Amino acid sequence: MSAADDISTILSSGIRLAVPLALAACGEYLAERAGTMNISLEAMMLGAAFGSVATASATGSATAGLVAGVLIGLVIGFVHGNLAHRLEINTFVVGLVLNALMLGLTSYLITISSFDSHQVAQVSVPWLRDIPLIGHPLFVERWPVYLLILVIPLTWWLVERSRWGLELRAVGEQPQAADVTGIRVNLRRRQALLWCGALAGLGGAYLAVGEVGSFNQNMTAGRGYIVIAAVIFGAWRLGRTLLGCALFGLADAMRLALPALGLTLNSQLLVVAPYLLALLAMLVFATGNREPKALGQPFERGST
Amino acid sequence: MRTVDERARELTPPSTPALRLRGISKRYGPVVASDDVDLDVEHGEIHGLLGENGAGKSTLMKILLGLVQRDSGTIMRGDTPVDVHNPQAAVALGIGMVHQHFSLIDALTVWENVILGDTGRIDRAAACRQVEEVSRRYGLPIDPAARVDRLSAGERQRVELIKCLRRDPSVLILDEPTSVLTQAESAELFTVLRHVVRAENRAVILISHKLAEITAATDRVTVLRKGRVVFHSATRDTTPPELARWMVGRDVSLRAEGAALGMLPVDGAPPAGTAPAETASPGTPPSEDTPPTEPPAEPPAEPAAAPAPPAVAAAPGVPSGGAATEIVPALRLSGLTVTTDGVTVLSDLSLDVAPGEIVGLYGVEGNGQSTLGDLLSGLLLPASGTVELAGRPVELERPGALHRAGLGIIPEDRHSSGVVLDMSVAENLVMKSVGDVSGRGFVSRRKMHAVARRLAAEFNIVAPSLDAPVRSLSGGNQQRVVLARELSAGPCVLVAAQPTHGLDVGAIEDMYRRLREAASGGVAVLLISTELEEVMALASRIAVISSGRITGVLPTAEATAERLGMLVGGVAA
Repeated sequence: MSAADDISTILSSGIRLAVPLALAACGEYLAERAGTMNISLEAMMLGAAFGSVATASATGSATAGLVAGVLIGLVIGFVHGNLAHRLEINTFVVGLVLNALMLGLTSYLITISSFDSHQVAQVSVPWLRDIPLIGHPLFVERWPVYLLILVIPLTWWLVERSRWGLELRAVGEQPQAADVTGIRVNLRRRQALLWCGALAGLGGAYLAVGEVGSFNQNMTAGRGYIVIAAVIFGAWRLGRTLLGCALFGLADAMRLALPALGLTLNSQLLVVAPYLLALLAMLVFATGNREPKALGQPFERGST
Repeated sequence: MRTVDERARELTPPSTPALRLRGISKRYGPVVASDDVDLDVEHGEIHGLLGENGAGKSTLMKILLGLVQRDSGTIMRGDTPVDVHNPQAAVALGIGMVHQHFSLIDALTVWENVILGDTGRIDRAAACRQVEEVSRRYGLPIDPAARVDRLSAGERQRVELIKCLRRDPSVLILDEPTSVLTQAESAELFTVLRHVVRAENRAVILISHKLAEITAATDRVTVLRKGRVVFHSATRDTTPPELARWMVGRDVSLRAEGAALGMLPVDGAPPAGTAPAETASPGTPPSEDTPPTEPPAEPPAEPAAAPAPPAVAAAPGVPSGGAATEIVPALRLSGLTVTTDGVTVLSDLSLDVAPGEIVGLYGVEGNGQSTLGDLLSGLLLPASGTVELAGRPVELERPGALHRAGLGIIPEDRHSSGVVLDMSVAENLVMKSVGDVSGRGFVSRRKMHAVARRLAAEFNIVAPSLDAPVRSLSGGNQQRVVLARELSAGPCVLVAAQPTHGLDVGAIEDMYRRLREAASGGVAVLLISTELEEVMALASRIAVISSGRITGVLPTAEATAERLGMLVGGVAA
């Protein structure tokens, strides 16, 4: 195998590994701009991964699995939103509980059930796939990958250009002032969590019915937390956040590819490497902190 | 949306008042916030609403804006009675408000802030155009694309005004609009208001406690006190002294006269251990409790059991108004200036407190008192100026320096900086002197309890047990814990910031007694308070703070309503 082929393979798997992160990151980014530190991202991804496999197996359609994943993400977003921004339970506690619950639930359910394997269709773009080096990685992928072309600009537009997004940002920065202006703070935050749930669900479902075709225990393995870290180290900018996700994906791909390339390294170290690399890169790029001022703070009317 | 010009033409014949309030009342439990208030605001006038803290200005405006529902009374726009259920209804009625605490989002740009709260698609170009148009029309220059957190206080105020004026209100309410502005910015603001009123025939309600502002900017003035309209006049027919008298009230002068006659002896420091509730009298402190306010005639009370700092012995009498200059003041603040976010919060503030004296720092809330409290707690550093204790300057940048130099403080917010709510009574009592109850790095629970038991008895702290968390104590007892801890360190200066805030009558009386005892024991007490009655009851001199400056220092005996009102209103009397 030539070096170009190796690079192409690593790129290809890097993209596949980065896609679920990027999808979830678009959701988390929007939720955090509205002031919610959404820890339950992990639960959203894991629940959606399981739900998508179960639905795909039951219906025989991997696409139905994707839809189910989105719905499960929405449900978790709805639950989180109502607990944190209606009943005003600490958002971190809500997130941790949901994560633990979903890990336990899916781990149990997978032991008592067996599913058929289904995967979404692969798209192969003629002509473009023949571009050397990047042609194959970019233009021969499972079709949900190309949803990113839609999701990323849409997220940006929603946050930066729509009235809804303007109100989300106001709510994430100074909820009291937003309230005086007549914006329903907690409603906006719940809505932001729904967007987050839908995208995290899509990401989790892609991981299962997109790449692997089946579910295994703790399949997301902390990817939700990686995404949260990406948003934070990306300094609440969408571009940097996605860059962080891409880096993690590539590092993960390297980890998988190195042994095949004949390089032997300590295997435990290799598992840690992508996390470490992503962390370092994000630290280096983390300048100009734009943290939403009210991030993680509950809003209660009348308090100042 | 109609243009401002069309609207102005429609409004031109001002036959009926723009806004008429009749018999507006609002109670919060037993507290009457608004009591049968009548108010007429005409088209084309600036109507001043003058009053102290808690006079009912804010409640009245909240009712107008639909933030609070009235208990009774009628609101009329023109000839039609209206209901203002919520803020949206107020906007529909053409009532707009510029808030005292800015309602702008720092991280957004000017135009984004201005259109926040609208509905429909965002049109950036149109929004910027509108901002520019309004800004040109009223002479409020601003860059629509600038981020709000980069703007000065004056510029932010402009954005607030633009935001409000863009909705074309026929009644415009401004709540203490100059509290964060410089002189020049304030002058500019009033020019704009004049323009809005004259050229466009709007009605403006200007809420303020600054007399100069009211007399300079308004056409008519209404004075509120304790929820009632006490005075109403065309501004040109009244004078600042008269307004000051109405604002502060008659009771003050009565009290001051009593004090001046010397008929109120100091209460002979009852022995510690007396239950405070027994010595307390309900209601406002009766006049017998007012301390002597004719200093030269009155020798200080016997130094009581309270620990006496060295400076005390030298004090021959309670000094007043610069009479006794030879005494080294226990506390000397000189030239303190604090600036936060470009706003000068304290401006060249200087004040002396002599040993054995209680000086009251009185003023309307938000004039720099809490900043001074933070500064004397060591929480922030002044941009310039010094703090001297017993003649020695304190190195403020060293943590704990004020405490070591002998300054005790009862902080304004007792929950956040007075006590640790979830630690025990005993732990809170020894918190500033852990070294005294520990050896070899371990706290001796026996010593700690001994100290705590002694203090609890001395200061009448009622607690289920010394190991109970301070959270389980009543507000009065929590405050006693703070007081006991601070006084047990043997301070030469005690700063008490709003010491009776939120306490019941018995606890208030007890606090007053303790503060007097401390003073008669030689401690210099600086009482920071927004309660005039409290200051009158305790202090021998009253320093008035307004916009971060001391506008004047009066012996309590000379503190008439008029003079105090003038000083509170920012006019040197």
